[in-house]
Amino acid sequence: MPASLLIPHRKPMRLVDTLLSVHEDCGVTETLLPRTSMMADGEGKLHEVAFMEMIAQSYAAFNGYRDLVEGKPAGEGFLVGVRRLEITGRAYAGDRLLTSIRTIASFGGFAVVEGSVTRGDETVASGIIKLWLMEDGR
Amino acid sequence: MNALLRGIRASAAGDIERTGPETVVRRYRFAPGFIGFLGHFPENPILPAIVQVCAAVSLAEEEGGKAVRLAAVRSAKFLSPIRPGEEVSIRCRRRVDSGEDIYDATLSVAGKTSAVFQLRLAEEETPR
Repeated sequence: MPASLLIPHRKPMRLVDTLLSVHEDCGVTETLLPRTSMMADGEGKLHEVAFMEMIAQSYAAFNGYRDLVEGKPAGEGFLVGVRRLEITGRAYAGDRLLTSIRTIASFGGFAVVEGSVTRGDETVASGIIKLWLMEDGR
Repeated sequence: MNALLRGIRASAAGDIERTGPETVVRRYRFAPGFIGFLGHFPENPILPAIVQVCAAVSLAEEEGGKAVRLAAVRSAKFLSPIRPGEEVSIRCRRRVDSGEDIYDATLSVAGKTSAVFQLRLAEEETPR
């Protein structure tokens, strides 16, 4: 499902293109950024901060999908924390990047999410983020 | 250099000030048309967390005079939203921990802390 139907982010700040799968507390998204992306430099290399946003937007898409299935408006969420995000690889415009997320805790309007971004067989980033979820929807 | 970094550097509202042996501060003002606000969000623009981190990396890079890459976000807390036109002060303190370059960054608006993070930076291996 197109992520644009599930999250409030719009281009150029929408970095996730498609929600590929959802299973229980896990989801997988796909990103394919063009050379013209604001995250890509002259050689097409993506800035490392993009991976953090891909994990956050992937969770937002996952959560938006669950809201949709339950007939609720897609709620908004805000990134409020990051822990141990390790960036171990590079990615370039045109790469097919898959972001996997797993909800590891939910409490009092907050969600703690483990995520990783892969490029082919290589994990380029992984870490834990915390989001605050607004319950009233948009 | 990517368009986001160019936009961040163009948003600097003053020179880099050294406030300690390993500490620098710079003020920024992100205008409503700043590229980082586009699409985040259409009805409710706020400065994305990744732009805040990117601005700190950029400041460390400019201060150090060499290209760096973000190797890790050890921890980060984003405490309050930053809106278009607000003056943001970014303070970066460099220290070495177990042989690694660590940057403690604090963002504040009108004297109130809006974000704190601890970044690990590494020298960029290929020229940009």
